[in-house]
Amino acid sequence: MKVTIKKWNAVATWRWDIPDDDVCGICQVHFDGTCPTCRYPGDDCPLRSGRCGHNFHMHCIMEWIKQDSAKGQCPMCRQTFEWNDSKSATDPAAQMRNS
Amino acid sequence: MATTLATKRLSKELAKITDIMPDGLTLVSATDFTSWTIDLTVLDANPLYLNQTFRLKFLFSDKYPMEPPEVVFVSLHEPPRPIPMHPHIYSNGIICLDLLGQNGWSPVQNVQSICVSLQSMLTGNSKNERPEGDTAFVATNRQRPRDINFYYHDDKV
Repeated sequence: MKVTIKKWNAVATWRWDIPDDDVCGICQVHFDGTCPTCRYPGDDCPLRSGRCGHNFHMHCIMEWIKQDSAKGQCPMCRQTFEWNDSKSATDPAAQMRNS
Repeated sequence: MATTLATKRLSKELAKITDIMPDGLTLVSATDFTSWTIDLTVLDANPLYLNQTFRLKFLFSDKYPMEPPEVVFVSLHEPPRPIPMHPHIYSNGIICLDLLGQNGWSPVQNVQSICVSLQSMLTGNSKNERPEGDTAFVATNRQRPRDINFYYHDDKV
């Protein structure tokens, strides 16, 4: 028997490449969900990692960093919060993986 | 933005503590997302606080958790809820704790972590006394707790 595929649809799922049970310390929402202001996870509501290794929704950490009282510090460890601009957490395309 | 974050975070916290509240803590009321009351007991046998229950009042602004909540002990006759004796707790219930000020606050803190810090602050105390200048402070203070710049007389307590 010969089967001819006329059409196919690819379906992929993705998730952030971080531990399963991790929540954003600021909004306490799971990283697979969005920050409280966004509706769709992914490119529109990215995660940012600090060099100290702590992750947050970008919108959450930006909201904190703009406070004077934040003094530019990571909410978790109080080290100066510097963007970790490696591919790992900033480029959602690099995180896509089939599951 | 801020309003959404505050209400969403508090509703998550409420769901969690309604489900399981840590030892020594009882949620008394949380009818909205502006003010909650929680009863607190000390977990060890510190004779200063033995068989006593204390009542905490939390006030949340719409900037929570970017700004700390205002947390004070409140006194009540029935049921008896005294203000705990502690060198950092004024007799009007105002608490001097860096975590609750703009400088010590972090948005990863939450209602439960504040309660646990207060429990340990009481557990570790052995001095049956009020802060220096308590009488004058209580008589004259009109500032809200978060606006007071506490002078930390003794960081070792």
